[in-house]
Amino acid sequence: MTRGWISRSSLMAMGLVLILGLVLVAGCSKNADVETEPVVPDAQPVEETPPPPVPEDKTEVEDVAMDYASIEPSEYGVMDVYFAFDQYDLDNEAMGTLSRNAKILKEAGVTVLISGHCDERGTVEYNLALGEKRARAVRDYLVSLGVPAGKLMVTSYGESKPFAYGSTEDAWAQNRRSHFERP
Amino acid sequence: MNHQRNLKNSLAAGLLLAVVTVAGTAVAQSRSSEVVIEHTSTAFIKTDVLMQELDVLSGGPESVAAADLMLTVISNDLNLSGLFQVGFSESNPESLQFEFTIEGTVEGPLRDAAQTGVNAPVTINLNLLSYPERQLLLNKRYRPLPSQMRVTAHHFANEVVFALTGEPGIALTRIVFSRGKGDRRDLYSVDYDGEGLLRLTANRTLNLCPAWSPDGSAIAFTSYRNGQQGLFSLDTGTGKVRSMIALEGLNLGADWHPDGEELAVSLSQSGNPEIYRITPQGKIIKRLTVSKAIEISPSWAPGGRDLVFTSDRTGTPQLYIIDSDGAGRRRVTFEGRYNDSAVWSPGGDQIVYASREGNYTQIVVMKSTGEDRRVLTDARWRNSEDPSWAPDGRHIVFASDRSGSFKLYVYDLVENTFRQLTFGQDPDITPAWSH
Repeated sequence: MTRGWISRSSLMAMGLVLILGLVLVAGCSKNADVETEPVVPDAQPVEETPPPPVPEDKTEVEDVAMDYASIEPSEYGVMDVYFAFDQYDLDNEAMGTLSRNAKILKEAGVTVLISGHCDERGTVEYNLALGEKRARAVRDYLVSLGVPAGKLMVTSYGESKPFAYGSTEDAWAQNRRSHFERP
Repeated sequence: MNHQRNLKNSLAAGLLLAVVTVAGTAVAQSRSSEVVIEHTSTAFIKTDVLMQELDVLSGGPESVAAADLMLTVISNDLNLSGLFQVGFSESNPESLQFEFTIEGTVEGPLRDAAQTGVNAPVTINLNLLSYPERQLLLNKRYRPLPSQMRVTAHHFANEVVFALTGEPGIALTRIVFSRGKGDRRDLYSVDYDGEGLLRLTANRTLNLCPAWSPDGSAIAFTSYRNGQQGLFSLDTGTGKVRSMIALEGLNLGADWHPDGEELAVSLSQSGNPEIYRITPQGKIIKRLTVSKAIEISPSWAPGGRDLVFTSDRTGTPQLYIIDSDGAGRRRVTFEGRYNDSAVWSPGGDQIVYASREGNYTQIVVMKSTGEDRRVLTDARWRNSEDPSWAPDGRHIVFASDRSGSFKLYVYDLVENTFRQLTFGQDPDITPAWSH
C-alpha cells in the first residue's frame, strides 16, 4: 500500500520541482523581480508512514565469547542423529547432520558427551551395548571429519533414558538416537 | 541412615537367632529320618500342614501381635515355597489331609527393669509335629525384638522346609532391583515375600544390573559418574559403596563366581564389549572372549567352571557357553532371533533367559544343553525381561510391563503360577535374587 502512495507523492513532488524549476528559469531570464510565484520549499516526498528503520550494520558487535561449556550443545546447533531399528550405521541424513555438527564443534572447541540410546524393545543389557555402538559410530565419524577425539566423550544409556514415552513407532523412532550433551 | 540401621538389625537378628537356637537344634536332631517329602515336577502333590494359633501365655498386646504375626508369616512362607498347603482349622473347607502341624506359645517380656517396655523381647516357642500322631519333629525357641519378628518367622519356616525336605528354604532371601525413571534409578531391595522394602542408593544417577555376592555381603552393580559407567560394590552390612572397576566404555552385567572370589563382567574398553574375569578389587584376571562382536551378560554355572553369555557374532544376540579359561565355546540357542540375559540355575541343570519375539520379549527356560525349550510368559505379559533364579531352583523373578510400567513378578516353575512382587508407579527392572 505504501509503495503506490509514495510513487504518486514522488510524482507530485517531481512535478512540483519541475514547475518550480521552470518558474525560476522563466523568472531569471526575464527580470529579477518576477517573484510572484509562491516560493515552494524544497519538496520532500510526503510520507504517509514512517519508513521502516534501516538496521544498522552490526559488523562492530561486541565480541562476547560464548561459554559453550555452560549450555547444551543443541542450543548452539549441535543436533542429534537417528538410527534404524537394531542398527548403528549412519545414513545420509545422519552424516549431513554430523558434518554440520563437526564444523560447530571444531569452532566451539568444547568437550561434549555423545550418548547412545535405543528404543524400549529388547533387553536392558543388549540395548546398552547397542547404544554404545551408536555413540561410537558418531564419535568415529566426527573424528574422521577433524574433530579432536579428546573432545568427544562417549557413553550409552541404552533404553533407560528415553526421549519419548509410549509404545508407538513414532516414540520408538525418536528414541533410537545419538544425543549430544554437556559432560 | 535408616537403611543402614535396618541392615544392621537384620545382621543382629541373625546373631540373636544363632545364640538362641542352639538349644533348639538338640531336639531337632532327634527327629525321625524317615520324614522326607519327595517331589517330582510331573506329579507334584503338596503336603498339607495345620497351622495353629499360638498360645499367648503372658504379656499384653505386644504378645498377641507377635502371635498373629508368626502365624501369618510362617503360613505364608510355607505356601509360597510351593511345597505345602496350609490350613488353619481341622474342619477346613478344602478338606486338607494334614500330615504335620505347627503350634507354639508366646510369653511376654520378662519382668526385668532393664527389659520392660515396648522394645523388650518376647519369648516364642515353636514346634513342628506329625499329625495326628504328634511326634515332635522340631522345636525352636526365639527371643526376638519387635523389629525381628518377621525374620524369626522366616527362620522357622526355613527350618520346617529343611526338616521335611532336606532342602534349604528361601524364606530369608531378598531381591535387589533398580527402581526409577530415566537416568534417575536407584537400587532397592525387598524380602522375597514383598515386604521390607529398603532403598540402598540415593546418588541421583542411573544404577542398575545388581548382582549379589554368594554370601550376601556385597552387591555389585553398574552406575554412572559424570556420564561414564563403572562397576561398584555395595557393602550390605554398612551400606557403603566403593568403586570396583571403571574402565572406558561399558562396565556391565557383573556376575559373582560361586566362590565369591571373582566376578565375570562385560567391559568394552578394548573397543567392543568382551567378557572378562576380574577380582572384587577391579583387577583383570583373564579376558575370555576376543571378537568384533558384542559379548555381554555372563552368568556362572554353579560349579564355577563354565559360563553362559550372549554374543551377536552371528548378527543377532544368541547364547553361548564357554569355560573359565575362555575355551570350549559352543552355541546353545538356535531358536529365536534375539536371546540375551541368561542366568544359570542353582542346580546347574537349566538356563533361564529372555527372548525377543516380534516387538515383545519373553522369558524362556531350557536345559543347559539347549534342549527342552519352554516359554514361560505369553503375550499378556508384554515385555518380560531380566530373569533371576531363586536359590530353590523353582522360582524365578522377572520384570514385566504388562501393567503399563515394569513391575517385578515371581514365577513358580512347578505350579506354573505368578505373583506380583513389587507395586507402585516407577518402573522396577533388573532384579537379582539373593543366594
